[in-house]
Amino acid sequence: MADIQLGLMTRGQFPQEDDMQVRIEEMFEQVRLADKLGFSCLTKGMHYSSAPLQDMQMVPYLSRAMAETKNMRLNMGIVLLALHKPLDYAELVATMDVLSGGRVIFGAALGYREVELKAFGVQRKEIVRRFTENIEAIKRLWTEDKVTMKGTFFELEDASCSVKPVQKPRPPIWIGANADPAIERAAQIGDCWYVNPHNRNDTLLRQLDVYKRALDKAGKPFPDEFPMRKEVFVAETREKALEIAKPAISLKYQVYHSWGQDKVMPEGDNNLDLDWEELIDDRFVLGSPDEVTEQLLDLHKTMGVNHIIASPQGAGMPQGQVLESLHLLGEVVLPNLKSA
Amino acid sequence: MDMQFGVMLRGLFDWDDDMTVRFEELMEQARLIDKLGYDCITKGSHFSTYPHQEMTQIPFLCRVMAEAPNVRLNAGIVLLALHNPMEVADYFATMDLMSGGRMIFGCALGYRDVEFKAFGVKKGTGVKRFEENLTAVRRLWTEEKVSMVGSTFELDEARTSVPLQQDPHPPIWIGANADKAIQRAARMGDCWYLNPHQKVETLLRQMDIYKEELEKHNKPFPTELPIRREVFCAPTHDEAVAIAGPYIKGMYDAYKTWGQDTVMPEEDRDITQEYAELAKDRFIVGDPDEVAEEMIRYNEVLGVNHIIMSVQGVGMPQGQVLDTLTLVAEEVMPKVRAA
Repeated sequence: MADIQLGLMTRGQFPQEDDMQVRIEEMFEQVRLADKLGFSCLTKGMHYSSAPLQDMQMVPYLSRAMAETKNMRLNMGIVLLALHKPLDYAELVATMDVLSGGRVIFGAALGYREVELKAFGVQRKEIVRRFTENIEAIKRLWTEDKVTMKGTFFELEDASCSVKPVQKPRPPIWIGANADPAIERAAQIGDCWYVNPHNRNDTLLRQLDVYKRALDKAGKPFPDEFPMRKEVFVAETREKALEIAKPAISLKYQVYHSWGQDKVMPEGDNNLDLDWEELIDDRFVLGSPDEVTEQLLDLHKTMGVNHIIASPQGAGMPQGQVLESLHLLGEVVLPNLKSA
Repeated sequence: MDMQFGVMLRGLFDWDDDMTVRFEELMEQARLIDKLGYDCITKGSHFSTYPHQEMTQIPFLCRVMAEAPNVRLNAGIVLLALHNPMEVADYFATMDLMSGGRMIFGCALGYRDVEFKAFGVKKGTGVKRFEENLTAVRRLWTEEKVSMVGSTFELDEARTSVPLQQDPHPPIWIGANADKAIQRAARMGDCWYLNPHQKVETLLRQMDIYKEELEKHNKPFPTELPIRREVFCAPTHDEAVAIAGPYIKGMYDAYKTWGQDTVMPEEDRDITQEYAELAKDRFIVGDPDEVAEEMIRYNEVLGVNHIIMSVQGVGMPQGQVLDTLTLVAEEVMPKVRAA
């Protein structure tokens, strides 16, 4: 029996004209359904100044959304940790862990957007140092009563984390990483690498080796929980799945392109349909419930991932379609995954 | 009399308390507060609170939203000098959306070394950061694209990720102890959020300063003027003092070690007095008639029309908290409103 968990990412990004009061209610409806269907976790990303998309901030959203759940873990996927101060986030996350009864996952990564770095007064050359110092400080604040530590951009002087997380010794730390050095860092300082959804699968296989070697070097075992985020589009038939994926992915990649994420995108657009299908096959999980199950099992076999966070909602996808996807994922795919 | 009643969920507990149990109790308080017709729930913000435990403001207020769907939610106060304005503005835009337009943005300078150091705030830069941050937050809430260079941030055509629900934005309450800070509250806030430490006489003196500064900047007296106070109500005066007195006294002893007295105006700086002296013109503790009379007096002499009550001392049992909240709602509120 494959011990594979299926999580949900409610991206929560909507076009500028959308009525967010309506959308937030829809998101909570999705959350309640996912919780009932047995999804493992609720995930939300983090960005600032997200125009032209509307977006809700991760910390407030997850803190409110957890009231709509009984079982799902709350996955902070991912905190742009280099922008922040460690005492701030140590306390935010510990509080969320108390509020949820010990269900928080602390995902963190470097981030890349110039507008965000500027807004937080962070210079690009400082990002890695801020990130690693923050991770170290947060681990200490969660596990020691008083911490004294001089960071480059902060100073903890006999500081305490005002409330301790419920999970012992602390919440799991998932580190998101695209590039090889970041993956090595994830091996060294995280509980696991949180595999991103943007890279091609063959790239990811190569990077899995990078990860394993870095784990060996650090004297750490392969993680018990190895998570990966994937864009997942499921419908009764593959054709229908392609149909719902196209507008969702187009809008998303339009925006991410303008944000500078395009480095992982193939160039050229000559043979649109073929390239389009190729693009999807190598990056996204897409098809009928049986096909989706097969693709997820394949990822489990080749990559060793055992916790797949599915983002089934593209920006602008109607609520009915999202709920339908959740039903198919929860009622057909998930049981098939568990019994494989 | 037009008066709003808020409750501050102080949420401060002993270091070895089980916070998951305390959390459930606070949610029970929140549900009762909402049901009894209070107007507002407030949560403060401090970091590194040893030897006490305290849950962090933003996640807590967001979680409370689900238990209290009617009351306003007051972040009282955000330590604005410590934070980044992009994050603050965006957090509150999200919260205003999720709550259906119920947020209040309280903010103040703060004073604790451990907090300033932990956030990398260089000594002497607090005021500048506070003023820049507040300016930036207000602009992010009211302008479509904001470009602004501050000493710790640069906004480059930035905007909040969702629009505000309240028009033009959540009310900005500025907490202030010292005269200069009160002048700043007049210049930059929607109102001064009167603090719980000053005696009435001091507040009267400072109210003149506040009004003068408002006039100087052609701003009207605010339509909403809030104050936070330690409040406890029991069937008799003696009972109220017997229950609440020790908690409040203990808290002020702790304030002394935190250095809270050093940022207070000189005439109120002696906070080591015995309870009775300490309480006079500062705490609202008594039977329903007394509590109502004192609240009415506050309205008449100071012009406050929103009283935020701090009720639960560290270690005060849940039952006592629920009782006093109920008594105030049932016997004090009607008296005050009828005045």
